[in-house]
Amino acid sequence: MNSSAISDETLHAFIDGQLDIADSEALIVRLRADQTLAQRVCGLRSLQSMVRLAYAEPPGAADVRAGAARGGRLLQRCAAGCLILLVGLSGGWALRSMDMQAASAQPRLLDGYQSVSLAQQPDPSRIVLHLDGDEPARMETVLDRAEALLDEADRQGRQIELEVVTNSHGINLMRVGVSPHAERIARMTQRHANLHLVACSQTIARYTSQGQKVELLPVARAAPTAIGEIVYRLQQGWTYVRV
Amino acid sequence: MSLISQFLFGPFRPGLETMRPVLYRIAYAWCHDPALADDLVQDTLSKAWARRAQLREEAALKGWLVSIMNHCWLDHLRSRRAFEDIETLQDALESPADTPDACCNREQIIACVRAAVARLPMGQRQVLTLVDLEEFGYAEVADILGIPVGTVMSRLSRARASLKTMLDQAARQHGVEPVLRRVK
Repeated sequence: MNSSAISDETLHAFIDGQLDIADSEALIVRLRADQTLAQRVCGLRSLQSMVRLAYAEPPGAADVRAGAARGGRLLQRCAAGCLILLVGLSGGWALRSMDMQAASAQPRLLDGYQSVSLAQQPDPSRIVLHLDGDEPARMETVLDRAEALLDEADRQGRQIELEVVTNSHGINLMRVGVSPHAERIARMTQRHANLHLVACSQTIARYTSQGQKVELLPVARAAPTAIGEIVYRLQQGWTYVRV
Repeated sequence: MSLISQFLFGPFRPGLETMRPVLYRIAYAWCHDPALADDLVQDTLSKAWARRAQLREEAALKGWLVSIMNHCWLDHLRSRRAFEDIETLQDALESPADTPDACCNREQIIACVRAAVARLPMGQRQVLTLVDLEEFGYAEVADILGIPVGTVMSRLSRARASLKTMLDQAARQHGVEPVLRRVK
């Protein structure tokens, strides 16, 4: 089929997540077969990331306005500043032990794992765990790891977001009737609202084309592609860990 | 009196204040002027505070604020008549690269993209920035700007097409491979 048959508007809607699931899955299937179409989508995605990059850190107005602060604003800022300083100092003192604990605990949690982050300091509060195989040990590790991170954060009273992304045979972890850990996953998601499960639609399409019916656990959602999801999270500053 | 109320209410609007960076980014992408963007955000937050009773659900806060900011921005344009100083923007876009080092590549791309976005017609620029920077859905953008969804889609499509053309041109002038192709 000719890739020009698909309008630019449709491709824009696709990259902006505005197509419904059926249309986007149909498009993903075509993308695999049609090189030109894939290039068009790729071009649009990079254009979008360049726009995001361009405004990720807009120049601050503070420098421009330096010295223009009027008396009232200045007074207000001083008062607010003193308050923040006071709260910060006392808070910092009270939390110092907790902080030290967190600092020492965090790297240990991610130790021994291949972690990647686009930020200078890997963000320990937003983590993507990636699983692409269904070996029993790895499936168990990914859940153990997720649980350890979530429990640790709960204990320390920290907010974290954790996403388990699966593709290839890894999606078996999230399939109804196939996953050996369905109950454990249900328990975990019930306990932690900040745990998200994502499966790759391309893998699902592949299984389906081989005649296997794929039904995801109700708590899991499908993303257009696992790689796309991971890149998207990395761009948002998440830390990526391959299990 | 206003000083006292500002002192009292200024820093104590946590819900609204947390949106300041988001609003500032959008405002800057619309006007490309830090001082003006700051004014727009300040204006928007004051108006939002005055009309806070109108906001029915917390979830709609961002869209509601941006639509207020859109009105502030239109008011500003009406009062000022003159839009952008096209010449300076053109200079920024077409100025030759100083050194094509890898280290300034990033800065160069940022400057180029900003200059190109600034050259888009206002309607297209607003749609593009709301969709790309804040990931608003098309229907939300239509709601915020008060235009039909079809218009949102066609403006977005035109905006991305011209942006690509401008960036390709800029890249060719700098004698480097078009950036669009290199990123895979």
